[in-house]
Amino acid sequence: MAANLLGFWRRRDLLWHMTIRHLRGQYKQSVLGYAWAFVNPLSQMIILSFVFSTILRVQPAGDLPYPLFLFVGLIPWLFFSNALSSGTDSVVNASTLVTKVYFPREVLPTAAVFTKLVDLFFGLVILGALMAYYGRLPEATSYWLPLLFGIHLIFLLGLTYPLAALNLYFHDVRFLVGVALTLWFYLTPVIYPVDIVPDKYEILFDLNPNAVFIDAYRRTMLYGEDPDVEKVLLGVVIAVVTFLGGYYLFKKMEKGFADSI
Amino acid sequence: MQTASNPLDPEPEIEFRDVTKRFFLKDGRTLREFATAIISRKPWGDEFRALTDVSFTVARGETLGIIGRNGSGKSTALKLIAGVTAPSEGQVFVGGRVSPLIELGAGFHPDLTGRENVHLNGSILGMSEREINEQFPAIVEFAELQEFIDMPVKRYSSGMYVRLGFAVAVHSNPEVLLVDEVLSVGDAFFQEKCHERMHEFKQRGITIVVVSHSAETITSFCDRAIWLDHGRLAADGPAKRVVAEYMATVPHYMEAV
Repeated sequence: MAANLLGFWRRRDLLWHMTIRHLRGQYKQSVLGYAWAFVNPLSQMIILSFVFSTILRVQPAGDLPYPLFLFVGLIPWLFFSNALSSGTDSVVNASTLVTKVYFPREVLPTAAVFTKLVDLFFGLVILGALMAYYGRLPEATSYWLPLLFGIHLIFLLGLTYPLAALNLYFHDVRFLVGVALTLWFYLTPVIYPVDIVPDKYEILFDLNPNAVFIDAYRRTMLYGEDPDVEKVLLGVVIAVVTFLGGYYLFKKMEKGFADSI
Repeated sequence: MQTASNPLDPEPEIEFRDVTKRFFLKDGRTLREFATAIISRKPWGDEFRALTDVSFTVARGETLGIIGRNGSGKSTALKLIAGVTAPSEGQVFVGGRVSPLIELGAGFHPDLTGRENVHLNGSILGMSEREINEQFPAIVEFAELQEFIDMPVKRYSSGMYVRLGFAVAVHSNPEVLLVDEVLSVGDAFFQEKCHERMHEFKQRGITIVVVSHSAETITSFCDRAIWLDHGRLAADGPAKRVVAEYMATVPHYMEAV
C-alpha cells in the first residue's frame, strides 16, 4: 500500500500531463469554450435562488442573502458531483491506453478529479463577484478553508477510485452514480441550512462528509465561526478511511483492468 | 553480449514461468447478467485460455521473435511483458523499463499539439520531464515533424501520427522494447529509418521482443524465436529453425519448403 502510494507520487509528472490533457479535451470542441464553466453554476444559482428564496422563502440565519448562502454550498457540491461522475468514467474512457501501456492507473481518476478544480476556480470567481455585489468580505475564519477542502478532496478521491474500477466491470455503475448523486444532493444542506434539520435526523448529516464540510465552509467563510471540531474530526476519519479503503480496492482490481475492456 | 539465452542465465531480462492466462468471454457487462450468473451458479461467461503453461526466458540484449497464427496468444504474451495484464497462473518477471511499440500514439490526444503530446506520451512511458526536454529535439527530428510540431495532432496524417508515436517510444530509453507488427508503418523511407533504429538498439544491447506473422521479419531481425500454437509453446530455438518449423505447418508453404 505504502509502496503503491510512493510509486504514484513518483509519477506526478504524468498526473500533471493527464490533467492538462483532460482539461484541453473538456471544452475544446465547444463554441463557448471555458465560458461553460461559468454558465453551469451561474444558471443553477439563479434558478435555485428563485425557487428556494423567492417561492419557498428559505431564510438563512443572520440576514445572509440567500444567493450567497446557496453559492458557498453549491460550488463545492458541483465540484464534488462533477468530479465523481467524470472520475467514474475516467478508466473506461482511457481503455485504449490501459490495454497498451502500464502506468499507475490511479493517475486516471485522480487527473479527472483534478481537472474539475479549474471549474471550481471559476466558481470562486463568480463567488467573489457575488460577495462584491452584496458588499461583503470573507470572514477572518476563512483561513480554515484550504484545510477543510483538502480533507474533502481526500474523501472525494477515496470514493472515486473504487467507482472508476467497478465501472469497468459493470457499466451500470455510472448510472448508479448519477442516481446516487441526485439523491445525495437533497440530503446535503446545499439549498437549506443544516440547522433546520430535526434533531433525530442529525446523525444522518454528521455521517455525510459533504454535509459536514459544506456546513463548515459556510460557518468559516460567511459567519466568522470556527468549524464544529467534533463533526469535522469525524469527517476526517471518514475521509481517511474512505481514501485508504478506496485506494486499496482500486489497486486490487487494477490487475484485471486490461482483461475487462 | 549476444548469446542465445539459456535457462541458467543468472539474470534473464524476461522470464515466463509456467504461465497460464485465462480470459472470461463475457456476453454482457451489466449487473443483471452478473446477478443471473450468480443465482444460476454458472460461471460468468465462457472461459478461454490464451496461454497454457508457457515457460521461456529472454536474456539481456537478446532479440526474440514470437511467431504463430492469429489467436495463438502472441499479443497476450506481449501484454504480459508490458505489465498491462497479470498471469492467471505462473509468474512473469521483467527486469527493465518496458517501452511498447504497440499501436503507436494510443496515448495521443487529438486536440493537443504535437509538442504537448510528446510530453504526455513520454510521461506515460515513464520518462521524467527532464528526459523529455533533453530528448525533444531528437524526437522531432526523427519524426521529421519540425514544421508541424505546434499543430494539433488531429490535423496530422496517419503517417505523421505514427511517426511521432514511434519517435517518442524509441527515445524513451527503453531497456525492453516490444514491437507488434509496427515496422510496416509509414512510407519506405521511414520504414528504413525504423529498421535502422531497431538494429541500432540491437547493437546497444537492448532486449527486443518482436511479434509478427511475417517469417521474414523474424528471421532477418531476431536471434531466437518461439512459436506459439493455440497458446502452447510449440518450439523455442534459433530464429531460422523455429520459423522453418512453423512454416512447414502452413499449407500454402508446404510444397515450397
